[in-house]
Amino acid sequence: MPAKLVVTDLTHHYPDEYTGESVHALEKINLEVNEGELVTVVGPSGCGKSTLLNILAGLLPYREGNASMDGVKIQGPSSERGVVFQEQAILPWRSVAKNIGHGLELKGVPRGEREKRVSEFIKLVGLVGFEDKFPHELSGGMKQRCAVARTLCADPAVMLMDEPFAAVDAQTRITLQEELNRIAIATKKTILFITHSVDEAAFLGDRCFVFTARPGRLREIVNIDIPREKRIWADMNNDPRFIEARDKIMRLVREEVLVSNA
Amino acid sequence: MRNNLNRFRAFWRHFPAAGAINLALIILCILLIWELISSTIDNPSRYLPSPILVALSSVDMIYKGLLPSYFGDTLIRLITGSSIGLALGIPFGLIIGINRTSADIFYPVMNFFQSVSGIAIFPIVVIWWGNSDTTVLVVILYTSFFPIAFTVLSGVREVPMQYIHAARTMGATRFQVIRDVLLPGSMPHIATGSRLSIGFAWRAVIAGEMLAGREGLGWMIFTAQDADKTSEVILGMVMIGVSWIVLDHYLLRPLEADTIERWGLVQR
Ligand SMILES: Nc1ncnc2c1ncn2[C@@H]1O[C@H](COP(=O)(O)OP(=O)(O)O)[C@@H](O)[C@H]1O
Ligand SMILES: [Mg+2]
Repeated sequence: MPAKLVVTDLTHHYPDEYTGESVHALEKINLEVNEGELVTVVGPSGCGKSTLLNILAGLLPYREGNASMDGVKIQGPSSERGVVFQEQAILPWRSVAKNIGHGLELKGVPRGEREKRVSEFIKLVGLVGFEDKFPHELSGGMKQRCAVARTLCADPAVMLMDEPFAAVDAQTRITLQEELNRIAIATKKTILFITHSVDEAAFLGDRCFVFTARPGRLREIVNIDIPREKRIWADMNNDPRFIEARDKIMRLVREEVLVSNA
Repeated sequence: MRNNLNRFRAFWRHFPAAGAINLALIILCILLIWELISSTIDNPSRYLPSPILVALSSVDMIYKGLLPSYFGDTLIRLITGSSIGLALGIPFGLIIGINRTSADIFYPVMNFFQSVSGIAIFPIVVIWWGNSDTTVLVVILYTSFFPIAFTVLSGVREVPMQYIHAARTMGATRFQVIRDVLLPGSMPHIATGSRLSIGFAWRAVIAGEMLAGREGLGWMIFTAQDADKTSEVILGMVMIGVSWIVLDHYLLRPLEADTIERWGLVQR
């Protein structure tokens, strides 16, 4: 069976209207994400991770190379590919419940059905009791839970996540990572997860794509062969497979960061 | 001693009617100063009649039914003119905020007309429609259109890209993006713009009535001056200011509290 997401020879330059020079963000990226797989992407900051995600989301037009889902070229956004952004993306003028149900509302799912599904996801992400609150009344961690639930509730085939937990405190982040792992088990969604945290990449990923410094190329793929059910922080920290993968990713990222600072 | 004062302040702030009593005290002070000046100048009935005289003239005008009728006329003109102005200005601002091409076409035109004030278009409007209610309405509409159109235009452009992206990746159509993201996202600007527009319209209606000679509060203070009825002039001015405060407090403020404050888009 062909992979869910296929990227071939994807190159991207951002034109600069003012200086006429362009920023070379991605160089000949080739990668595949299989159905039901959770892959993480790490690389030095500015190496083009978000660029890749935006192209896959269909939010950024591209000319060189190809990106496709289920064999169809990606040419615009689709509710089949949900995105969780780093921050500031749930709508301030919608309550938690209305934010989570937004995707269904856009699809015209009737109210009764919608409310049923919304309450399921509110439970799944632990926001019971906060249905009618507005985003500015939530903590950073709760906002991100709401953002994840919103994307899940729209039921996309693929979830693209761009450093979704980067802006929350360390304690909350650990909880959110374990929650996402549970969600990945429960929903079997195909997930592409960008992060700058090596621990996070090794904890969550079935595979981890390590990118080079800009222009971003795929440097190496690190396999992390640990069953999802075993991925709990209390155990992972002593799991030699986790430690090995994390150290390997760490070494690769370090090298690339040195290159990008040189 | 200081401690007691602070305690009293804290108590006073939480006293239910504190706001109303404070306001009443401020008004009382102004009336006292007014009375004081009025009683020390020569010929106060021509230059600054005392508050009591103004109040008496209001009783007289209410009794004759003139004040309620003038007030009603003015208010209806204001509401009609500025609602049409807002109803046209909000979508117009939205469209040129969203669409580059229409912005390129209409922005210079808008800029041109914005500099030609409502009073400056008055003569041509009188040539077209005479000294009629239509004339006054057109001037109000014209005056209220630009502030709201300009503020909505910049409001739309300031809505964070991330919100639009989020909606689009959930499958939102162009129309759904406008309805669910751009319109509510511009609410702070729509609120500010409406207040500006209605404020300008309120001034335009007064000026319009004076120039076109249509009965209303503006006309009242204009003709009262001709007839040397200074107390009616002042009464008209007070009515204008007080009704704006009432309008603002009971219409615009609750609207803001219900939307942008509830959403945390502005500080309380
Ligand atoms: N809209 C844009 N216009 C021009 N350059 C951009 C734009 N977005 C990103 N870039 C540049 O492209 C490079 C890659 O950016 P990005 O994909 O955001 O990196 P990452 O997410 O890995 O930190 C950076 O050098 C950045 O400055
Ligand atoms: Mg990024």
